[in-house]
Amino acid sequence: MVLDPAHGGTDLGARGTEGIRESEVLMAFAAQVRRALEAQGFQVLQTREGNENPSFDDRSARANAQRGAVFITLHIASTGLAGTVRTYVMPEIPVVRDPSGLIPWDQAQAPFQTLSHKLGDMVQAELAKRFKGSPDTAQIAPIRQLRTTAAPAIAVEISSVSVEDRADLDRMVPGVAEAIARGVAAFRPSYVVPVMPGTPMVAQP
Amino acid sequence: MNSSWRIWLFGGLLAAVIAAALYFPALRRQVYKAKTLTEKTAEQARRELLPVAPVDTGEPRVKAKMFWGSGESDGTLVPVTIDLPLSSDPTLRAKQILNTLLAGPVDPEVRTLPPDAALLAFYILPDGTAVADFSESLANSIPSGIQSEQLAVDSITRTLEANVPQVKRLKILIHGQEVDTLAGHLDLSQPFQVSGAPAGAPPRSSISILTAPVKKAYERVKGAAKR
Repeated sequence: MVLDPAHGGTDLGARGTEGIRESEVLMAFAAQVRRALEAQGFQVLQTREGNENPSFDDRSARANAQRGAVFITLHIASTGLAGTVRTYVMPEIPVVRDPSGLIPWDQAQAPFQTLSHKLGDMVQAELAKRFKGSPDTAQIAPIRQLRTTAAPAIAVEISSVSVEDRADLDRMVPGVAEAIARGVAAFRPSYVVPVMPGTPMVAQP
Repeated sequence: MNSSWRIWLFGGLLAAVIAAALYFPALRRQVYKAKTLTEKTAEQARRELLPVAPVDTGEPRVKAKMFWGSGESDGTLVPVTIDLPLSSDPTLRAKQILNTLLAGPVDPEVRTLPPDAALLAFYILPDGTAVADFSESLANSIPSGIQSEQLAVDSITRTLEANVPQVKRLKILIHGQEVDTLAGHLDLSQPFQVSGAPAGAPPRSSISILTAPVKKAYERVKGAAKR
């Protein structure tokens, strides 16, 4: 499992009127998701452990260097109905290989889209049980971080930094962590790494 | 007048002519540079501060469908029908549509784009790919997040789809530059599909009358066009 607490460093992410900063809240959020996943028997890596801001490609590379990884990028929105959570997956990307047989880096997600949709729907189904007003299935959005990730990959976004009290967000985190861990555990039996003859690695520019 | 005085006078005049001849090209360069700088600054200021208002070209008014937020914090768009004097030229029509989208509504709960964002340029390529260049405010002032960024782009693509069928895909630039993301999430490196299935949620209802904020925004645009 590769967990990606988004933003970091000078990139604070979404900022609420009450001073809530997405990049800070996400570290505590990621720690709880990590514990929940480890309790399910998963090995977990993080794209950042502190207040640094790796590039999109560096974050994707953490997952792309593993075989059989699952990638989850964590976000807190500026908007949306407070107390709801949404899972996002990429829209369809045509699978294109260059003459060498390698998959271009910026289309790395293409072979994993079916798996990503399945994972997204399973995680969102768990989230919808716990957070009223959340959608029942994964939403589709062209998210930069997911496009270069060669693994089943989803984004999970909580609403929102606009709450008056950070405790409102903190109270959501255990439920979100549990929902993600259960969703990934349910997805695990169906995860077969796509066979791509002659394409053992993704071509990074 | 003695000859010595004449020599001094002639010498002085000659020196003045030579000095003027040497200084004149430098002066001309300075004046030209100052003029260019002034023009550039004024143009930048105009592009930054004043969205180009739809121009009343005398075209008949048609019903334009604008996609603005539902105002219910759920990330959905609602089509609003308004009467606009739209050009039959696809590029001009798209500019008029996008400037109307940027101009209103004034209600922040319903807006999908920052109020200070402006359309700097728009053109359509022969294959139906449109290129829209927005000011930096579109990226800097939009609330950061997947939902808010997607709502902004969906409102642009769905409004274009509803009103300018010649646009098949849309590439978004920020201040003339290709950028990785809108505000840290939504991928702007690839064009968005305009005709066909949009990425966002489907509209839930259609409003055929102007709501108060939309009407106010529309009147503001109409007033600017008259000026």
